[in-house]
Amino acid sequence: MSYITPVSKRKGLQLFGSPNELFLIAAIVVLSLVIGLNNSVFFSIATPFDLLRSSLIEILFALGLLIVLVSGGIDISFPIVGIFAGYTTVVIMLRFELDTYSLIIPLVLAAIVGAILGSVNALLIAGFGLPTLIATLGTAGMFRGFLLSYVGSVYIANIPLGLDQFSTADLLSVETSAGTLARLHVLVIPILILAIALAWMMRRTMFGRTIFAIGGSEESARRMGMNVRWTKARIYILVGALSGVAGILYISLQRKADPYDLAGTELEIIAAVVLGGASIMGGYGTVTGTILGVLLINLIKDNLILLGVPGSWQRAAVGLMLLIGVIAQAVADKRRLKQSVTVAKEDSE
Amino acid sequence: MFGTENISKAFGGAIALSDVSFSIEPGDIHCLAGENGSGKSTLIKIMSGVETADSGSILLNGQKFRSLSPREAVAHGVQVIFQDFSLIPNLTVAENIALSTDVSEKRKFVNPKRNRQIAANALERMGVDIDLDATVQSIPVSSKQLVAIARALNQGVKILFMDEATTALTRKEIDHLFGIVNGLRDRGVATVFVSHKLDEVQEIAQRITILRNGSVTAEGDIKDFDRKSIALAMTGQEVNEVRLAPEVPANAPTVLQVDSISSPGRFRDISFSVKAGEVVGITGLLGSGRSEIAEALFGMTSIESGTVSVNGTPITLKGPRSAVAAGIGYVPQDRLTQGLFLHQPILKNVLAAAIERFVGPLGFVRGKSIRETVTAWIADLKIKTTNPQNPATSLSGGNQQRVVLAKWLAMTPSVLILNGPTVGVDIGSKRDILEIIRQKALDGMAVVIVSDDIPEIVQIANRVLIIHQGETGAEFDGAEIQEASLYKELAA
Amino acid sequence: MKDITQNMVKSLLSDRKLTQLVIVAVIVFAAFSILVPELFLTSRNFVSMAFQIPEIALLALGVMLAMLTAGIDLSVVSMSNLAALSTAYLLVTQVTEGDGNVYVWIVITLLIGIFVGLVAGLANGLIIAGIGVTPILATLATLTLYNGIAVGVRNGQSIIGLPEEFVAIGNSSLWGIPMPMVILLVAGVGVAIFINKTGLGMQSILVGANQDAARYSGISVKKVLIMTYTLSGGLSALAGLIIASRSASANPDYGSSYVLLAIVIVVLGGVNPYGGFGTVTGVILATGVLQMVASGFNALRFSQFFYQLAQGFVLVAVMVLNVYVDKRRMAAKTKKAPKES
Repeated sequence: MSYITPVSKRKGLQLFGSPNELFLIAAIVVLSLVIGLNNSVFFSIATPFDLLRSSLIEILFALGLLIVLVSGGIDISFPIVGIFAGYTTVVIMLRFELDTYSLIIPLVLAAIVGAILGSVNALLIAGFGLPTLIATLGTAGMFRGFLLSYVGSVYIANIPLGLDQFSTADLLSVETSAGTLARLHVLVIPILILAIALAWMMRRTMFGRTIFAIGGSEESARRMGMNVRWTKARIYILVGALSGVAGILYISLQRKADPYDLAGTELEIIAAVVLGGASIMGGYGTVTGTILGVLLINLIKDNLILLGVPGSWQRAAVGLMLLIGVIAQAVADKRRLKQSVTVAKEDSE
Repeated sequence: MFGTENISKAFGGAIALSDVSFSIEPGDIHCLAGENGSGKSTLIKIMSGVETADSGSILLNGQKFRSLSPREAVAHGVQVIFQDFSLIPNLTVAENIALSTDVSEKRKFVNPKRNRQIAANALERMGVDIDLDATVQSIPVSSKQLVAIARALNQGVKILFMDEATTALTRKEIDHLFGIVNGLRDRGVATVFVSHKLDEVQEIAQRITILRNGSVTAEGDIKDFDRKSIALAMTGQEVNEVRLAPEVPANAPTVLQVDSISSPGRFRDISFSVKAGEVVGITGLLGSGRSEIAEALFGMTSIESGTVSVNGTPITLKGPRSAVAAGIGYVPQDRLTQGLFLHQPILKNVLAAAIERFVGPLGFVRGKSIRETVTAWIADLKIKTTNPQNPATSLSGGNQQRVVLAKWLAMTPSVLILNGPTVGVDIGSKRDILEIIRQKALDGMAVVIVSDDIPEIVQIANRVLIIHQGETGAEFDGAEIQEASLYKELAA
Repeated sequence: MKDITQNMVKSLLSDRKLTQLVIVAVIVFAAFSILVPELFLTSRNFVSMAFQIPEIALLALGVMLAMLTAGIDLSVVSMSNLAALSTAYLLVTQVTEGDGNVYVWIVITLLIGIFVGLVAGLANGLIIAGIGVTPILATLATLTLYNGIAVGVRNGQSIIGLPEEFVAIGNSSLWGIPMPMVILLVAGVGVAIFINKTGLGMQSILVGANQDAARYSGISVKKVLIMTYTLSGGLSALAGLIIASRSASANPDYGSSYVLLAIVIVVLGGVNPYGGFGTVTGVILATGVLQMVASGFNALRFSQFFYQLAQGFVLVAVMVLNVYVDKRRMAAKTKKAPKES
């Protein structure tokens, strides 16, 4: 027996093709055309390669933040966790004279340190139930303070060789018409794999579905028997590990370990993830959208000069993008709320 | 067999349940009735493992339990569906139904195909067809309820508690729900309706257990009870059903004039008028638009066409402030989330709408006159509190509703619209609140009561307007206002 | 006036959170007095603190107003820098050496600076209340935007060389009380009066307590929110002007760590991040406590990074404590008869 069909149909998570993502792709294409037409230097193979290279680390951070946002929380400590883990790893490697050519060791170390820091967040947010913004604001301060007080505040130029050499590990290098070398960094592969893995995790594992459930209605998830606390804890530990890995990779690509780096970059990444379609209320967000969001913001940032924006106004441009992004999100969220139906329209005809 | 034996529970010094025993067999349909504070929700909590009884035992499947954990309760087939259904809005229907299986089987991976099949099976067993891929937030309330039931079925429910199941449903949906419940009965599932909507429950339940102040005051076959005996068992008082409708002077002026107002998708071509001292009842099934009319008259939703006049002057309703400025007050449906500031002092709650009246030219508030006014209103409405600085959470439901009333009465409105004014209020306070309304009408206020509580409307209204699918239906005046005729008109 | 002081004292004693704060203040004071009396217990130290407290307290008051409405304002520091830069720029370009009209210009530029802050705050309010962006994201965005504007207009450079008459304001004292402190006290009383004695102030508490119920009570939530964030902008501007005066310069990136500090202060001061509760007394007292910690750390030769660590720790610790206190209070309540069962 047939009964009621819903007024509208929409899926909670799609890999591709949601209107938001199409809009982002369109924006990227249009913007590229505009920049390129103004400045044909833009139309070279170097452009996407460079864009990718400057975006990879941010994508890593953004994917971690995406998970947090889908669960209904927000984390502003992740860049600090990143630099803490990265810097500490370098310090440990140098101090204990660990195998300087290894890449595995720093990655594992950084992930562990990141996970430890993430578990502090986990304790406060999952354990004590503190509001996420204030909790991570506090831990950001604690981590940064601890890093600069006790681990070191010194700029390290001679990072372990393995990390240093990794910065030039290119998948492809192509000579451009301008005579320079356009390089596609090998990190593209692992990060792509990671992105696919995370997307799969969010869709096909109970961990992932629980994250969406918590973001949609924490109380209902709890009543369903889901272990909300433990899931939340795992989220922050995972994000910590991811941030740690991002931090050490950042140090590698920069070829220096500066403990003052990365602080303040959380705003851009939040902007990217929000632009990519994640709702701050939780329950919505895609990996594809996040990656597109990062690419779009970096596309603008890296080419501001080509767009005619002087260097000193770059920050304002980023701020403006952030603002447009959050406004667009708010409008989209409002529209989504309006679509909740209370009574079958057919019945009240 | 399911039930309890001699369950007692106290919180600190106060007794919540005292020696409560009841039993249900598979396939029974039972009604658990009681006022707020009767202990019915504590009883449900104990049966579902959320609370532990101080003494006595719980019977599940014929087995006796001294205490339960929530997981054990679910494992033995106890399921509770609360009024909010506990669904996840951003996940699909299929996931909402099937994920609980994944959880209980402690799975790590999700197989969407398998989940769709599980969900499809559950819905098929109910004879219901809902789009499996729709997100729960996009389906209507009645469908959400069905999804919740499907989920319970999926978890092997043997005894299903439904808390106020019919509150948010239209007549058609209620019929459909009862059909499903009968289907459940055929499968051996016992259903317990926790409800105060006795007329509806009487249609479906076979037996009833009534609680008052933590004890069972009556139980038996529903056909042996009528509304009076049930109410007597619930409250311990003879219900005074003397009509409270005020006498309206013949030459009373028209205060509220509503002419052909329409709001597309909500209501169409509504006209009525209210005189000073008159109480007009507006009723209709859920979804008829009655609530929407009330909210539109308060400026909460827009009116596309038609005019509204107060005391002869046409007004434009754009937002609540315009309504308030025109002399309209509104006591909303959901007292807790829309009417009160729970953690704020009672004084601030009463003051909330009237703040601007006490503001001087420089924007400063006249403290002394506030205190005097609020104290006067608290006394006038007999709000039981030791200190107006106490938070509103310290009050009982009935007193809380009086606070919301006081908030609007402090504005001395020309028109007071009340939406479901005595929902969740104990019977004693119900009568008092109706008397307050009567008194204010006698003082010259025009009152509109939107309600689905027919007995209440019969008691207080001078005229009754039925809203049917967004349009005005029958009107009843004075002596025509009888329960039987109202029910008949609604069901038409 | 008597009414207000009576209320202050009454709230100090009756409000549990405030009494706890007073105890904390006493402990902190005692601790540093014992550890480094020669540096801490000097009049020089207290005067120095009295000069430094106001700018941060004003920022914290701005955050408090936002929190009362269940929101937050992360852009306070950026707004204050923007205001400071505006005033400084005008002063430096319009006032020449030995100009007789210095004081006129000072007044004008001060008003313009405050105006800039009000406009920035108003923009926040419009984005939050008009468009409906959640306060966290909105003020995160404007924080970057305002900072970006401040950097852009001056190419990232600070403005120095402010006229000495202007600098004198921030560094002088009125009857022994440092001028900034006087400004803070006046502003603090103003904010307290706003919250407790004006219609809009009372309404903002209700909006924070339950926005829906506020709307259903006929309160203009939009107006309240816009007013709140505008005021926050004004207070931030005031802070910025004091900073400019005291340091004789305006810097677009000054005080980037102040956002964390302001939130620590506000939470320590007993403001409920979920809205509806908070006192000026608490905020100012909390600022005092943190300033004592800062100067004590300084005397003990702890680095500024350690101070940041301490701030983060205090924030987290206070919130955890609040959770425990609330849990115990809830447990005590459910021991009594539940109203509905």
